[in-house]
Amino acid sequence: MGVNWAQVLFNSAVTGSLYLIGAVGLTLSYGLSGFPNFAYAEFMTLGAYMGYFVVRQLGFDIYFAFIAAFLACGILGALAYRGVFRFLANRGANKIHLMIGSIALGFIIRHIIGDIWGWPPTTFGIIWPGFDIGPLRVTDLWLALIFTALFLAVIMHLLLTRTTTGKAIRGISSNPELALASGINIERVTLLTWAGGAALAGVAGLFWGAIASISPLLGWAMILPVFAVTILGGIGSFYGVLAAAFIIGLAENIGVVALTQLGLSTEYRMAIAFIILIVTLILRPQGLAKAFRRT
Amino acid sequence: MNLGLLVYSLDIVVFIGIFAIVALSLNLEYGFTGLGNFGKVAFFLAGAYTYAIVMERTGIPFYLALIIAMLVSAGIGFLVSLPALRLREDYLAIVTLAIGEVLRLVVKTEDSLAHGVWGINVPPAIHWSGMSVLEMRMVNIGLVYFCLILCFILVQLMTRSPYGRVLRAIREDEVAAEALGKNRVKYKAQIFMLGSALAGLGGGLYAQYMQYINPYMFMPMVTFTVWIMVIVGGPANNRGVLIGAVLVTLFERGARIIKDYLLLPIDPINLQYILFGVLVIFLLAYRPQGLLKERQLETKAIEGVQQWKNRSSE
Repeated sequence: MGVNWAQVLFNSAVTGSLYLIGAVGLTLSYGLSGFPNFAYAEFMTLGAYMGYFVVRQLGFDIYFAFIAAFLACGILGALAYRGVFRFLANRGANKIHLMIGSIALGFIIRHIIGDIWGWPPTTFGIIWPGFDIGPLRVTDLWLALIFTALFLAVIMHLLLTRTTTGKAIRGISSNPELALASGINIERVTLLTWAGGAALAGVAGLFWGAIASISPLLGWAMILPVFAVTILGGIGSFYGVLAAAFIIGLAENIGVVALTQLGLSTEYRMAIAFIILIVTLILRPQGLAKAFRRT
Repeated sequence: MNLGLLVYSLDIVVFIGIFAIVALSLNLEYGFTGLGNFGKVAFFLAGAYTYAIVMERTGIPFYLALIIAMLVSAGIGFLVSLPALRLREDYLAIVTLAIGEVLRLVVKTEDSLAHGVWGINVPPAIHWSGMSVLEMRMVNIGLVYFCLILCFILVQLMTRSPYGRVLRAIREDEVAAEALGKNRVKYKAQIFMLGSALAGLGGGLYAQYMQYINPYMFMPMVTFTVWIMVIVGGPANNRGVLIGAVLVTLFERGARIIKDYLLLPIDPINLQYILFGVLVIFLLAYRPQGLLKERQLETKAIEGVQQWKNRSSE
């Protein structure tokens, strides 16, 4: 059986783009606040259901769904930070408490979504016709996803290197005390990062919902690769995540080819991200970040 | 009291016992040692599936199968602890959470292992012909509570011994414990293995009692439920954790009963998890020590200090 390697590379770019958009917010807020926010999975789920709400229930175009997902998840991210995590941290919660709090928040959001829209999987009901470019079979949605990721990468690069807020994010991430002493408004920067990151997670969830199907467990199913990307990239490092997203995207797609050739189930795709996560922790727990001196 | 109600309440009693064992194991890890295991379900699953597979393929007695289930769980616990224990606590959280997902994926995908999504039948441990449901429940209560009492005594003795004091020292200040010559990674790995073994025992008993398991019984909710038991009851207080197991199980069953009898605008099961989430956040904020506080250590030295304090206050 011949393998269309061009297609494998293209699919890797699609997967990598999805993981990039999905993991950027997680890694930045993880770097700033010092703990992984497991409710992040539910930000993605909410993004997907905002798509369902706008496209299926309101009957609008999917472009409006992106705006809705971005705004709704951004607000949710800000509320989560202000209402739960800062509240807990101010009352002296340690890191494990914050992680449990994030799982609890995830359960709250997931079951509210499940109650509003129901648990059975569903779709947006949009068919994306495939067409050929050379040896590649593509759809508009996949191309849009890749362009969004490229656009995001450029914007994030400019934001982190050219603006005060971006420099502040990097500053707080590497040395919070020094950042505070330098007069950086940590509170404002952290809130902005949580809101912006959650908004991007919503967009990633919406893309995933449009590509496959949606269910209240959508975000939870994506949490493993997204965390693998975060750890491989090095917590808090945008450039690390940029590289890691595409490395894991490539590994998964090559892995799927290998699994098929070996006669194993392609369900193990998720295990590939897990193996990368474990190997990273054993060999290089700080991730790729050191390879990118900027962050 | 009619028979159906009695059988149903005994079912709740068995569940409380099984989850109390798992909650005790989490208390050992999180309460006493400060290890955040967010994949408790993985070890519960490992125990349940090992028990089911061993019982299906071999004819060995059930207690041997339970011991094998514990060993396999402990082995997986050891492997999981290898990459993560040396690192910060958030890495352990991510790895344990991930292993829960991966193990469920494996048992779901590998049909040859345990029939995948169709699930696997498990023979009851103790059975005679003409056994009634009531007798079945009573036998299970005996078995589960026998194991629970053993676990409780073990955890209680361990945590009150010098070994337990080292665990608390590691929880409070790793560097200080290390400075006193205690190898923190070794202690943590031992506790993680023991905690996994106890969770595996809980899993084995669960499979044995349910007589049928499938991958969908091992969702992340199991982990979350066990965490709530520990947080409600009181981390590092074994009695508190038992109370937590009772309260949380009753609350869960209550929601299921309400679902059948009461018409709410919101599904009671969804509402239950929403309330659990809110409860956890409020407990963490206002009463992180849970219902029962951690008890002060009882050692000769502390007794001496107490006497000295009493004398000086007179």
